[in-house]
Amino acid sequence: MAEVPESLARRTWLLTGLQASIGATVVAIFYPVIRFLWPRPATRSGAMEVVATFRVNELKADGEQWPARFTLDFDGKPCTVIRTPGGEIKAFNAVCTHTDCTVEYRPDKGDIFCNCHNGLYDLNGRNVSGPPPRPLELYKVTLRKQKETDPPGQEEIVISRSA
Amino acid sequence: MRGPFAEWIGRVKSFFADRLGLEDLQKLADKKRVPIHRTSLFYFLGGMALFLFGIQVVTGVLLSLYYKPSPDQAFESVRAIMTEVEYGWLIRSVHSWSANLLIGVLALHLLTTYVMRAYRKPREFTWLTGVLLLAMFMAFGFSGYLLPWNQLAFFATKVGTAIVGAVPLVGKHFLLLARSGENVTGDTLARFYSLHVVILPLATFAVLGVHLYLVQKHGMSIPQGVVERFGGEDKVPSMPFVPHFLLRDMVGWYVALGLLAALAALFPWELGEKATPLGAPPPGIQPEWYFLFMFETLKQLPGRFFGFGWLEGEVVGVLFFGVCWLVVLLVPFLDPRAVQGHPRRLLNWLATWAVFAFILQTASGLGAIRLKLLASSLVQLGLLDPDPTILDSYRWLALVEAALWSAAATIAFRFGVRKWTVRESMQ
Repeated sequence: MAEVPESLARRTWLLTGLQASIGATVVAIFYPVIRFLWPRPATRSGAMEVVATFRVNELKADGEQWPARFTLDFDGKPCTVIRTPGGEIKAFNAVCTHTDCTVEYRPDKGDIFCNCHNGLYDLNGRNVSGPPPRPLELYKVTLRKQKETDPPGQEEIVISRSA
Repeated sequence: MRGPFAEWIGRVKSFFADRLGLEDLQKLADKKRVPIHRTSLFYFLGGMALFLFGIQVVTGVLLSLYYKPSPDQAFESVRAIMTEVEYGWLIRSVHSWSANLLIGVLALHLLTTYVMRAYRKPREFTWLTGVLLLAMFMAFGFSGYLLPWNQLAFFATKVGTAIVGAVPLVGKHFLLLARSGENVTGDTLARFYSLHVVILPLATFAVLGVHLYLVQKHGMSIPQGVVERFGGEDKVPSMPFVPHFLLRDMVGWYVALGLLAALAALFPWELGEKATPLGAPPPGIQPEWYFLFMFETLKQLPGRFFGFGWLEGEVVGVLFFGVCWLVVLLVPFLDPRAVQGHPRRLLNWLATWAVFAFILQTASGLGAIRLKLLASSLVQLGLLDPDPTILDSYRWLALVEAALWSAAATIAFRFGVRKWTVRESMQ
């Protein structure tokens, strides 16, 4: 094996050093840029509870429509509070599991419908027909009396994540 | 000695070369050479300006991902960039610092190409596009300055556009065009944003494209004296652009990058206070340093000239600077005998005087010096009333003083230059 002359070995070292420095510089530039591009995920607390601005006795349909004000913001996503034909108060994450459209409660038909691609859910959130692959997330609803002497129907609606 | 990595690089290169016709580019790159002489150092300035412009484009694009161009949201979005977005402080501060460095480099590039007479035939259009680019970069600076919508930005824009309005006949129309209305409002912000992010970048790419094409076509300009000394342009020693000069260029760029990062870390750009359009401007309001020489001059000019009551000082100032820009633009045609190597005495004296006046007025604007010697001397001699209100109307004495100091410095400089150096490469 021929001996590598000293000047050639030094040249290799220099070139390798140059390539390494350029690589390091590129990383030093790209690292902050990549970090800059991705938005910081919002910190979310484990326990979260939202109180609706409306009371139980206000939950009434408007003809065939379920009023828009019964959909509130829970953790940055729309949450619809409904009164089922059977009288139960339920709350669910109104983001359709198909492609993220906001679903609609249909009080006359007793189901939840997604306008975008005709997805259908029942009042337990189960995806019964159409493209949605997963059921809707149901939240825990607590009815809280403000005062013990309040008549029924005046309770506050407290929505939280079920355990 | 080709290791496996170099082998792989070679294969990747030939993959693209076979399909994209890169051999033509390679031939052009191999042909380009840079002459070596006493003022070769000046050749780095153009590339440095290009590098800093590249930094502006990259950081600007990144900022545009978070900035919101409406009066309600602009300030808040910049605050979020500085405090919440990861490395947002770095991107924004680099953008602001690089803008200032870029204008400085452009000023030096202008000065050195003038000194080397690089504008002589056939490079007149290179000069013209260059001066146009300088104006466009100053417009970049002016439009970008408004975007944070803080007190400084708002009032600097108000004053700046008001000065545009001082141009006779067409001024009012330019003011309405610039402000998108009578006043500086959200409409102005939208217009400046579009200017800064769409219109100026597109125009700059076009003009810069022509400028760079011309530089490649004509090659690097060599000062006449150097050409004569070696007996012909092709006899001047030179180095290949790739890789010799380019690697030297990149050293400079590396240093500039490090400098920008250091400046961003040690002197982050301030956020300021959100603009309150209906309130008074904060004291000491002034534009960026590269506008100060004009701003100071306009401040010093009297409201009305004695004996010419119809002439507004502001109008005279604006017209004067308009003429100055025109002269700078037309330098190649004002010095038509540059090719033969004839000296350009008048232009040189004017240029030297202009540079000193620029430095003095900028320093005065920054508060680094006070041009009060003339006024206070006249007070001492009893020729001027020391009453402050009277003295205030003699602000223009500061302007005269700046002119006189510049003239003195010019005389000293040019006679010093003549005496102590053999200026064969610059005439």
